[in-house]
Amino acid sequence: MPLTSQPIDTSIYATITAAIRSEASRLFTAAEVVAIIGYAAARRVGSAQPVIITDAAAAETLIFTEACVNNLAVYLTKAKKEIPKKGKIGIIVKGCDLKALVGLMGESQLKREDLYLIGIPCAGVLASAVQPATTLTTETIASKCCECDVHLPLGCDFVPSVTLPPGPQMESRYSEEIARLEALTPAERWAYWKEQFAKCIKCYACRQICPFCFCEQCLCDRNKPQMVETTPRPAGNTAWHIVRAMHLAGRCAGCAECERVCPMDIPLNLLNRKMAKELKELYDYEAGFEINDKGPLTMFTEKDDQSFIK
Amino acid sequence: MSRIGVFICHCGENISRTVDVERVAEEVGRLPGVAFSTDYKYMCSDPGQTLVKKAIQEQKLSHVVVAACSPRMHEKTFRKAVEAAGLNPFLCEMANIREHCSWVHENREEATVKAIDIVGMMVERVKKNRILPTITVPVTKRALVIGGGIAGIQAALDIADCGHEVILVEREPSIGGHMAQLSETFPTLDCSQCIMTPKMVDVANHPKIKLYTYSEIELVEGYIGNFQVTIKKKARSVDEDKCTGCGVCMTKCPQKKIPNKFDQNIGMRTAIYVPFPQAVPNTPVIDRDNCTWFKTGKCGVCQKVCGPGAIDFEQQDTLIVEAVGAIVVSTGFDLYTIAEKPKGSPIKGYGEFGHGKIPDVIDGMTFERLASASGPTGGKILRPSDGKEPKQIVFIQCVGSRAREKGISYCSKVCCMYTAKHTMLYHHKVHDGQAYVFFMDARTPGKSYDEFWRRSIEEEEAVYIRGMVSRLYQKGDKIVVMGNDISVGVQVEIEADMVVLATAIQPQKGADALAQKLGISYDKYHFYSEAHAKLRPVECATAGIYLAGACQGPKDIPETVSQASAAAAKVMTLFSRDQMEREPIVARVREAGCVGCFACKKVCAYGAVEEKEIRDRQGNLIKIVAYVNPGVCAGCGTCQATCPSKSVELDGYTDEQIIAMIEAL
Repeated sequence: MPLTSQPIDTSIYATITAAIRSEASRLFTAAEVVAIIGYAAARRVGSAQPVIITDAAAAETLIFTEACVNNLAVYLTKAKKEIPKKGKIGIIVKGCDLKALVGLMGESQLKREDLYLIGIPCAGVLASAVQPATTLTTETIASKCCECDVHLPLGCDFVPSVTLPPGPQMESRYSEEIARLEALTPAERWAYWKEQFAKCIKCYACRQICPFCFCEQCLCDRNKPQMVETTPRPAGNTAWHIVRAMHLAGRCAGCAECERVCPMDIPLNLLNRKMAKELKELYDYEAGFEINDKGPLTMFTEKDDQSFIK
Repeated sequence: MSRIGVFICHCGENISRTVDVERVAEEVGRLPGVAFSTDYKYMCSDPGQTLVKKAIQEQKLSHVVVAACSPRMHEKTFRKAVEAAGLNPFLCEMANIREHCSWVHENREEATVKAIDIVGMMVERVKKNRILPTITVPVTKRALVIGGGIAGIQAALDIADCGHEVILVEREPSIGGHMAQLSETFPTLDCSQCIMTPKMVDVANHPKIKLYTYSEIELVEGYIGNFQVTIKKKARSVDEDKCTGCGVCMTKCPQKKIPNKFDQNIGMRTAIYVPFPQAVPNTPVIDRDNCTWFKTGKCGVCQKVCGPGAIDFEQQDTLIVEAVGAIVVSTGFDLYTIAEKPKGSPIKGYGEFGHGKIPDVIDGMTFERLASASGPTGGKILRPSDGKEPKQIVFIQCVGSRAREKGISYCSKVCCMYTAKHTMLYHHKVHDGQAYVFFMDARTPGKSYDEFWRRSIEEEEAVYIRGMVSRLYQKGDKIVVMGNDISVGVQVEIEADMVVLATAIQPQKGADALAQKLGISYDKYHFYSEAHAKLRPVECATAGIYLAGACQGPKDIPETVSQASAAAAKVMTLFSRDQMEREPIVARVREAGCVGCFACKKVCAYGAVEEKEIRDRQGNLIKIVAYVNPGVCAGCGTCQATCPSKSVELDGYTDEQIIAMIEAL
């Protein structure tokens, strides 16, 4: 983290809140959507929580603040059954959340025409360890926001017309940590991850929050045959986290929700970022930018690295 | 409870030399679920198989494990035996204790322990085997033949004569291929056209053959018994239904100086043309690159003179889709153009022979056109440069072939014989001429072939010089041939009037692109690969696709015709039944677990995965899941490995079976 913390200008968030409220109201009045997934104020001052609204009256509850950290894309897969099935669904998306939607569209889970995307020009959100109602600074900002490359989501149906004030330059905290781990010997690295995975209590919060863990029956819950040991013991924990990392390789766009919800503070997004780095280096691929292209791991081209064939 | 029978084979001494088979039988016999175990010297022999069958009946066995060689060798044998005894064949598994054990180990004790482990794993696996019903898929009894040379013609006629419809596709405006270009054929010297053209006419008149000339294969989809082939019919600019083949258009076409590819570019043709007078179909085609109308928008003479009004300048390429059950590939060969190194090719070319620079240095096929009665010289051997009759002629063998350092290591097979034929034709037409042949070896295996070659020397006075030529150069109107006679060890220098090079045979250009469309394999020279060099020489590794002729490797006419008939026989075998049986080792989707991400569909190399809608009783869509078409699935298992929720299982190789094997260790 930088030694001196610099404030980040979030003055536009008030304008954004007003804009999404009026747009939501318009959408319900014009019957363009049946529901909108967004954020509303939660009980603690300054905090926010996801909300699904179904009428124009509720539009006034919508907000966008530096506490709106959740990736709402997950509600289009996991909680989909609780949302009315017929008609378009509106969703508030930050740039990082949009990447997940793009991935889900590529994997036949969502259709673009079934969604009304309300894009948010986003200067950043607070880190999960920070108390709500804290000022957003280069210190209190979430790690994922330090390396954000989509402050302004593209291709949305509605984006509040505000101009993002230029923010301070920030170093990627994940890259720093990956570089530190890469410099270790394999034995040291293994010791580090063993220690991290040993903390896991198999609560599967990481699975529940992940927009890409959309399987109705997770293979880790299978018992005939049992693929992964389910009790929180070292072998099963390691197997679970390796399966998770491998299944997200080439798909995870880095919303870091897994890391945010982990009660044991396992640096889960670090694994995901490392996989993404490998994909970038091996296949020049970054997840979340294009719909319907085959992922690098489900495709072969003659340019692919074949040095592993000996 | 399973009642498993385990049968340990000695394989003569192949297994029993290193593995204590009696001990394996005894120890495996104690495993839970094993009801019977025994060993025998040759389990695959008739008494061995009888032993298995008898045990199944007497011991009321539920599953069988045969511990012997690789399943590649005898899995089918034992599954058949098991089926004959009344069990589903897929309740039989093989434990490979030969290739995986006895052949690779020396220590008897350790090998025996390993054999017990291998058999133990298969015992656990077989417990999880399910009865798999054989899959039957319907067979479309129509064949596609690609390439209308002698191979394609023969295959098409044979299949059509059996009463099945054949689609014959030819890239050029006429069928006939290279054989139509030849003058006479070895070893009998009968005229090629005389034996070829009646077959071409048979093709044209056959009610079961649908001929597409001037057409190419665009796309091949489907699988054995059920292919969908898209054919691109190139615009001929002549309406085939209206054209009567009178040929007035060709006599009136003002563009008369276009080199004719059929005459190896030494004869000329018009812009609207048939490649040769006996062409089938006898419908001309307009060469749009050289036609004045297409270049300038003026002329149109052919259209004015055409009585039936068949000329259609507006004609477009059309795509036709045909459903076929089998494909015969007979795309033939091309001659190595030796003048220069082809771009991106490992082949280096023979600049030192002046081919392409010295007009009277020609290749074997050009000599055929000179010697042919229907050729540009009316069958007279005349030099391309000045039209004089060559009095000294030099033939050089193995140009390109058998020259590893030049990029081709194989023998082109037909050149020894056709050069012998050329010397004879030359001697018959130029009585006072002298033919010389530079050769490495004369390769003449074949019925009456050696006699034919000897005749060229003993009766037709050809002088054979064993050795290669180092250089050719023009000196006045002569070509100086510098070579070496290795049988006497002297340098030879001949002032020749004409030189004929027996250039190497190569597959047709674009053979690799076609192979990729068909999904068949080819070697580094782009010759197509047969499934087995000795035992399956006309089949491709891809089921339902067969090979005929020189596209698979250099061949002469008798061999090509034999292979074409063999390919036709294979097609007829396939067509002899309405339904084709397939091994039921195919992937199956567990619909409850499938979330429809279609990762399986993305990785399937065979296009076997489809989307299937799951609806409730009211018809409301619940979800869309993957469905594997068992007729298309090749059982490779890629989808199973890819599925994130493990909702695809490969029958016969389920996760349960594999994990049972691992847990047995």
